[in-house]
Amino acid sequence: MARNACIIAAGMSKWGVREASLVDVFQEAGKACVEDLPGFSKNDIDGLIVATSYAGRCSFQVNTAPVIAERLGLKPTSICARVDVLCAGGSAGMILAKGLVESGMAECVMVAGGEKLYTPQKWEIFYSELASIDHDWDAPHGLGLPPPVFAMTASAHFKAYGTKKEDLAAVSVANYNYASDNPKAQMQRKLTMEEAMTAPVVTMPLTLYDCCPITDGAAAVIIASEEFAKRFNRPLVYMRGHAQYVQHSVSSNWPGEHAGDWAHLRIAAAKAYERAKLTPKDINVAQTHDCFSISEVIEAEELGFCKKGEGGTFASSGQILVGGKVPINTDGGLLACGHPFGGTGCRQGGELMRQLQGRAIHQVKDPAFALQHNLSGMNVEHTIIIYGKEPVTR
Amino acid sequence: MAVLGIPVLEDKYPVSMDMWPIQCKEFNRVWPFYENLKQGKFTTTKCKGCGKVAYPPRVICPECYSEDLEYIELPKKAKVFVFSEELKGVPLGYDSPLIHATIEFPAGSPIKGLVTKIVNCPAGKLKDGDEVQLVIFPVPAHPIDVKGGVAMKERVFFAFEPVNK
Repeated sequence: MARNACIIAAGMSKWGVREASLVDVFQEAGKACVEDLPGFSKNDIDGLIVATSYAGRCSFQVNTAPVIAERLGLKPTSICARVDVLCAGGSAGMILAKGLVESGMAECVMVAGGEKLYTPQKWEIFYSELASIDHDWDAPHGLGLPPPVFAMTASAHFKAYGTKKEDLAAVSVANYNYASDNPKAQMQRKLTMEEAMTAPVVTMPLTLYDCCPITDGAAAVIIASEEFAKRFNRPLVYMRGHAQYVQHSVSSNWPGEHAGDWAHLRIAAAKAYERAKLTPKDINVAQTHDCFSISEVIEAEELGFCKKGEGGTFASSGQILVGGKVPINTDGGLLACGHPFGGTGCRQGGELMRQLQGRAIHQVKDPAFALQHNLSGMNVEHTIIIYGKEPVTR
Repeated sequence: MAVLGIPVLEDKYPVSMDMWPIQCKEFNRVWPFYENLKQGKFTTTKCKGCGKVAYPPRVICPECYSEDLEYIELPKKAKVFVFSEELKGVPLGYDSPLIHATIEFPAGSPIKGLVTKIVNCPAGKLKDGDEVQLVIFPVPAHPIDVKGGVAMKERVFFAFEPVNK
C-alpha cells in the first residue's frame, strides 16, 4: 500500500546578482526552508536531493550533493545525490523525493536546487549557456542563449493565432507586480504597461521585460510522509500527481506543427491530470514556466486553462491575476523572481504550498488544487507536479 | 614563471570550452557525417533493418537498435518559417547579427525542419518564406593525442544562407 507524500516546508535565499558563492546560497536556502516550519529540525531530514546544472561549469564543482549536505549539517541515510535537467532540476528532485517517500524508502527528504551563474567575468556565463542544449547539433548554431528560440516561438504564435505584443506585456506586468513585495525576488519593483511596451529590444519581438534575468540563488523544500507531516500544526499539502515528458533533444525533432504548438506539453499535462485524478478546470492556482512572457501564454493553452490560441487574451483579460480564472506565478515567476535553473522548481513548490495553506502574500481565495510546470532546455522537456489539500484516492 | 594551480591556458586546448563537435575518427563514431560534409553532402543514418531514418546520425537505430546503418543524403534547400535577429549580447565566438531561423524542408524529407544559423545575410533582409540553402564552412582545427605525439584535426560545420543573396 503506497503512502502519501506531502510538501511541508520551503524557503529560498535572496535571488539576484549575488556577492556569494554556490555553497553560500544553498546554505541560505536550506536554513530558510528548515526554519519555515516551527518545530521542524534539520535532524529530521534523512535524504537530500540537490538540483544544480551549472555547478560543474561555473563553480568547477561536480559531485555537489555531499558538499551541500556537509554545509547544511545534514547526515542523510536514505539518499544523497544530485539531479540535473536544467530548468526542471528542482521539480525532478521533488518527483524523485515523492517516489522515495511514497514507497517507504525515505521519510523526510530535502530537495535543494540552485545555481551560481555570475562568474567573475560575465562573458563566461553567456558562453557557458551554450552547454545547455544538444552540444554537437544545436549549440554550434549559437543557440544556447534562449532569446532567439523564444523570439521565434513568439513570432510563430503571433502568426498562427494573432497574439499581440500587448498580450506578452500583460504577463510581464502581472509577474513584476506580483514580485514587487516579494523580498526574495530579483526584480522587486512594479512595472507599468507603458514601460513594458517601450522597453529595449532583446531579440524582436521580445523586449527586456519579456525575458527572465540571469540569477544566482537557491531554494529548498521538504517532502515528507503524511504521517510525518501530521506532527506539525500546518494544513497538509499533498503531492497528487506528476509527469515528466521528453521525446526529443535536437531541434529537428520538434513535435509540434510550429514553434507555438507545444504538443509535448499536452502529453505531459494529460498524464499529470490523469495521475492526479483532476482536470484543468480543477486547478485554482498555478506556477508555470515563464522564462519568457510568451511561454506563460502558450502554457496556459497547453495546460488546458484556456483554448489553444487564446493564451494571449487569457493573460491580457486578467485571468492570470488573483480573482481571475487561474492566477499564475503569484510570487513573480521566473520573469521577476529570476531563474537559477535548479532552484526554480523548489521556489514554485514553495509558493504553491503557501497558497494551499492560505499563507501566500498574494493569496488566492480557498484554493484546493495547484499545478506547477517547467519546461527545460531548448523546450525539449516538460515537467508537472499537481498538489491538493486532499490526497488522491487510490 | 607560471604559478602551479593558476589556470594557464596558453598553448592548451580545453575541450570543455569548445563549442564545435569533435569530429575525428579517433573520437567520434559518427565521423562519416563530417567527412560527407567536407565533400559537400548533408547526410544522416538510415537503418538497413527497419528503414528508420534518424537525424542526427546514430550508431544504433533508435527504433530497432540495429547497428546496421547506412548514410543517406538529406535535402540541401529549405524555406524559412520564422526567424530571429540577435543584434546585441551574442555569445563569444559569434558575430552580430546572429540570425536564426526555423526552416522547413520540402515534403517527403525525413527531417521536417530545423533551427539553424543563417549566414551571409545582413540584418533586416530575411523574410518569412525565403528559400535558404546549405552552406559548409571550416571551423578551427583542434589537437588530439595520437600515438607518437599530437595531431591537428581539421573540422567543418554547416549553416544555411539565403538562395537570393
